[in-house]
Amino acid sequence: MWHIEPEKGPIYAQIAAEVKRMLARGELRPGEKLPSARALAEEARVNPNTVVHAYAELEREGITETRRGLGTFVREDVDVEAIRRRELEAAARGYLRAVQALGLGPDAAAKVLSEVSVDAG
Amino acid sequence: MLVEMSEVTRRFGGTVAVDGLTLALPEGEVVGLLGTNGAGKSTTLKLLAGLLYPDAGEVRLDGAPPRRARGAIAFLPERGQMYEWLDVKGAAGLFGTLYPDFRPERFHELLGQLEVPRRSLAQMSKGQRARFLLAATLARKARLYLLDEPLGGVDLITRDRILAALVSEWREDATYVLSTHEVAEAEGIFDRAVFMKEGRVVLSASAEELRERGQSVAQAFREVLA
Repeated sequence: MWHIEPEKGPIYAQIAAEVKRMLARGELRPGEKLPSARALAEEARVNPNTVVHAYAELEREGITETRRGLGTFVREDVDVEAIRRRELEAAARGYLRAVQALGLGPDAAAKVLSEVSVDAG
Repeated sequence: MLVEMSEVTRRFGGTVAVDGLTLALPEGEVVGLLGTNGAGKSTTLKLLAGLLYPDAGEVRLDGAPPRRARGAIAFLPERGQMYEWLDVKGAAGLFGTLYPDFRPERFHELLGQLEVPRRSLAQMSKGQRARFLLAATLARKARLYLLDEPLGGVDLITRDRILAALVSEWREDATYVLSTHEVAEAEGIFDRAVFMKEGRVVLSASAEELRERGQSVAQAFREVLA
């Protein structure tokens, strides 16, 4: 967790994206508290200002809220389904790009996906 | 602490170590001072610490010369020398006498965090000594921390511990300037990257802004200084 790759864009955006992935995977739930900016910064070896920026971005997107003196929490009314859907779409676009790089199209992609799913049980 | 250097030049004999360097650092930033060997990083840090005087130009900390702010500056030299007989207890006593802002309880916590054994310096490995001196430096409640290669000459695990300690010690009312060759490992903790070449600043940029433009600090390092 909190694996940062500096060559893949601003760190604040990577932290915000990871929080959303955790929500989509059910590792983080509505109403739950996020680690303090300092604790997360220490764990990820990043500047605490950067975590504060990430939390501000999540708040702007309506995903978290700051409770004075208590910390940052996932909002109760957060739309986890919508976040999960966007994660899934992003994964699908990644898969499709890989398929297209092989000179194949969406039909081949869908066919192989269902075959592999059967194999995986 | 507000850091300003304007047109600063410092020579050693016929060698110009720092050459008309101009730099301004806002308060509360963690600044990576980056450059290849001989770029003038150590000389710059010593000029900021007030341990060297410029031949030309001015160094100002909160508008005053560094020597007037000495009590508020914690400096970790690249190859820190310390009395061999010194142990943890002796060091706490010594630093407490030298620096009114030294926090003995924080020193002990940092030694624990950095896993420094409780023995004398003579019996410590190179990496343990480096961590011992870093703990002593960070245990001061300074307003400007100048750290020359705090990650130098120690193994990966130790570097990782040191980075964690730096993050846990960070205070927004202090400014941190650290030189390092471990750009990729350390870049996450920088607010700003200052690239030096041949005694001058070639680029001073926000680390996140560099990444926003699609370049990590390490990639910018290669591009700017190659």
